[in-house]
Amino acid sequence: MKLDGSAVLHGTPEQVWSVITDPAVLARTIPGCESLRLTGPDEYEMNVSVGVGAIRGTYAGAVRLTDQQRPTSYVMHASGAGAPGNARAKVLISLAADGDGATTLTYSADAVVGGPVAGVGQRMITGVAKRMAGQFFSAIDGELTSPVTVPAVEEPRASSAAVSSTTAPAAEGVTAGTCAAPAPQVFTGGKAAASAGAQVDLRSFMLGVASGGILTAWGVALGYLLGRRRSG
Amino acid sequence: MTTKLFGEPVRRREDARLITGKGRYLDDIGAQALAAAFVRSPHAHARITDIDVEGALDVEGLVAIYTYEDLTGPMAEPLPVLIPHPQLHAPRTGYPLANGEVNHVGEPVVMVVATDRYIAEDAAERIVVSYEELPVVVGVDAARDAAAAVHEEIPDNVAARHHQETGDVEAALAGSPRTLSFTQYIERSACMPLEGKGVHARWDPADASLRVYSSTQASTSVRAAIAAKLELSLEDVEVIAPDVGGGFGVKIVHPWPEELLVPMAAIRLGHEVKWAEDRREHFIGSAHERQQRQEITVGFDDEGRITALDVHAWHDNGAYTPYGIIVPIVTATQLVGPYAIPVYRVVVESVYTNTVIVTPYRGAGRPQGCFAMERTMDRIADVLGLDRAEVRRRNLIQADQFPYDHHLTFQDGRPVIYDSGDYPGLLAKLEALVDWPGIEERRAEAASRGKLLGAGMALYVEGTGPGPYEGGHVQVLGSGKVLVSTGLTSQGQGHETSFAQIVASELGVPIEDVEVTTGDTRRFPYAVGTFASRAAVMSGNAIALAARGVREKALRIAAEVLEADPDDLEIADSVVGVKGTPGATIPLRTVAVLSNPLRYAFDEAAKQATQFARAGSDDKPPVAEGDAPGLEHRDYYSPIRSTFASGAHAAVVEIDPTTWEIDVVSYAVVHDCGNVVNPMIVEGQVHGGVAQGVAGALYERMAYDADGQLQNASFMDFLMPYASEVPDVVIDHQQTPSPLNPLGIKGAGEAGVIPGTAAIASAIEDATGRRIASMPISPTELYDVMRSPNAELTAAAGRRTGVGA
Repeated sequence: MKLDGSAVLHGTPEQVWSVITDPAVLARTIPGCESLRLTGPDEYEMNVSVGVGAIRGTYAGAVRLTDQQRPTSYVMHASGAGAPGNARAKVLISLAADGDGATTLTYSADAVVGGPVAGVGQRMITGVAKRMAGQFFSAIDGELTSPVTVPAVEEPRASSAAVSSTTAPAAEGVTAGTCAAPAPQVFTGGKAAASAGAQVDLRSFMLGVASGGILTAWGVALGYLLGRRRSG
Repeated sequence: MTTKLFGEPVRRREDARLITGKGRYLDDIGAQALAAAFVRSPHAHARITDIDVEGALDVEGLVAIYTYEDLTGPMAEPLPVLIPHPQLHAPRTGYPLANGEVNHVGEPVVMVVATDRYIAEDAAERIVVSYEELPVVVGVDAARDAAAAVHEEIPDNVAARHHQETGDVEAALAGSPRTLSFTQYIERSACMPLEGKGVHARWDPADASLRVYSSTQASTSVRAAIAAKLELSLEDVEVIAPDVGGGFGVKIVHPWPEELLVPMAAIRLGHEVKWAEDRREHFIGSAHERQQRQEITVGFDDEGRITALDVHAWHDNGAYTPYGIIVPIVTATQLVGPYAIPVYRVVVESVYTNTVIVTPYRGAGRPQGCFAMERTMDRIADVLGLDRAEVRRRNLIQADQFPYDHHLTFQDGRPVIYDSGDYPGLLAKLEALVDWPGIEERRAEAASRGKLLGAGMALYVEGTGPGPYEGGHVQVLGSGKVLVSTGLTSQGQGHETSFAQIVASELGVPIEDVEVTTGDTRRFPYAVGTFASRAAVMSGNAIALAARGVREKALRIAAEVLEADPDDLEIADSVVGVKGTPGATIPLRTVAVLSNPLRYAFDEAAKQATQFARAGSDDKPPVAEGDAPGLEHRDYYSPIRSTFASGAHAAVVEIDPTTWEIDVVSYAVVHDCGNVVNPMIVEGQVHGGVAQGVAGALYERMAYDADGQLQNASFMDFLMPYASEVPDVVIDHQQTPSPLNPLGIKGAGEAGVIPGTAAIASAIEDATGRRIASMPISPTELYDVMRSPNAELTAAAGRRTGVGA
């Protein structure tokens, strides 16, 4: 399953870099992130609890980086499994200054979703994944544009985050907040989303679905973190 | 024998269950199932540019969303062309879910699965599909003009050009004393079963097996189609038709997209999934029939005898041709009806339009053929100033001309050879039944009340019971119960009753002991389906043969026990006895027990079959060579060709010249379907058929606008007649048994609907004196005809002063 998108972040590549590589920031910007742990060189583990609409679940993921061309691009390999499903994503991430003090981040993911969850339909999985990425980038942009955590939904700029294919989803996902957790909660981890109570009998095949997309989003974030550690 | 039930008006055994809410229809199954709903095309012809599901993601309870991209292997290929034909040169079928293009309003584009139907519909509503609209082709004339093409690569919109001829029609017409040429139209209608389509699927991951319930007319073929499309082994799939609330043809089409997609979802989600069609979906997402343009040229002599008939028809087959050209073929071959046509040529061009597909609807092309032939007879009579009954009589095939070969090829690929019939007999009975000579008197009486009265008649011959085959299984249990099964399905025809009558009669058992199962591939995996008035002929005969097999075996076993000659034995009231020797008997249930030699006595009856209970011969095996345990037999009936039923209808209409309301005041039917299994059921079939015939003549039509939007897709706007619109029907029977099958029966399912449009058009024309060349006709349309200066007056009207002027 292919998943491409980009986001315009309001800061120079350097500013973006410094914000996006702060574990504390990541912990509160990665949708549903509960814990984030370094397990070895270029390797991280994390637990997330994520959810959009009817799709919710808790999930353990691992991320590894290769082909780092700091500060322009690298390839992130994310994988993980929840009891009912599993996912693997290879994501190419690139950064580029777009001239007026902002940075355009582009990601191109090739994800494989397995387990019962794979049965719910491509467009549904990619739809969730794009929304997750959109929420993540909106959150990052929120970090960039205010020293303290401010819900991106409050920011006029927020809707300009996660442009192209993810613009509408991001804006809608964050502002609407009907089934998904309210916008502020999105930044403080996915527990809210997870606790929002998916149908018990359906929960099983919903877990992994999110992971397909969510891995992509974390991968983007973790990539920066790992990239920085190497440099530092 | 005492239990001779064949031919008796036995009350339908299934009715108590069905009319007291104890029926088990598709939607009664799977209370815990996930529900599917479909996003369907709002456009008649368009390219799909984008499908955005984002809005649906927030719907709590959404489970899955499928589009064409999710279809793999055979599922990603077009749906099958069920009945290929060499003259179907450009067949087209859709995909289970639209693949980039939609060709009619209602074509499924996205399938949504959710925790219940309401949620599924909510989610479907929030999925945004973007389209680039394309030129739309609606109606047979637009398809003919081909200003636009339904399928880009078929610029003339012609899917098939069906052609048959029995001689040099040009020469015969040239040599004819008189000729007539005219054009007429017949509109679209649809089956409209009270229960729409529906599918429930449950996948058992443990043994990798699929059970599907479908409201279908062909469970065995649905099973084969699902296995093929989902790449499953046939034995891992079972398909059951539960109680089905009407079919009338639309449910013989398969696999419907939903019949493949629902099982696919059940397998992918590991959870049972159900879809029950709603009424709007049925209007725009199932099938219609009937629309044709007919150009007819007939040659005849001064006595009204036809010398040659040349018919060129255009048949609207809708957006796709999954059912091939069956309807055009039936129109082409059944058009000739009960008449001897010296030279006949017919060409039917089957054309594409951006409308719902056209597949057989009760009558399946016959009403159109009958409309063409019978209206031709009316015109000949009108021109010559002859009585319409007389002109028909002069052209009828005579009773001594059977078997009569029309030198045409029927829809089953077999020759159109009428096996038996008595058409002059039908006509004579009809004239008596409706008092044809008394019509002028009634016309005058009505006129004195300010009403316009007219009468019309129409005759037909209906090829019924086409092959290739059906099978039956009959088994007598140790309890005395007799289990009967056939693979063909039931949609309310009363099979549980008529098939039980056949077995009770053949086997000599009370009907109460007989249990009939139909349409369940677990019970009988080989079948063709319920269509073309074939159930009684095909399964009825197969079941009779199976029952005869059981009887023979029962007599053989009983003969040993009674130490008698099997030929001296008879079965009556479930007891085998020696003819004329009271006391020397053995119950059939005991024979059943003895038929299965046992080691273990699991109950009292079983004891009698255990090895120490019977003094069997030591030099013979317990189960004789070539024999099998159990008192059961399976047999098949495969006919050499179809058997041809016939009938004659007469309608008398009374028209109010202020409102132009058309009231059918008398309706007479003479019906011949050979030997009758159950006259009450046959009359019920005739009544239902007449109701649909009247509906097709005066009320029902598919009101498409130029953009291909069906404007009357609801029971608010689609005028299905109530009992108040259906006339009282008087019926007379004639029986000319079929020499082709053991029971001598012919089909009766579709008969009633066939002549309605022709007879009523004739009656309205007779009442008004204006030519009626397009059916159905509403009071408004009749009003327009009456006030139009261009409306053609009939010659009869000219001869009759005052009436219709």
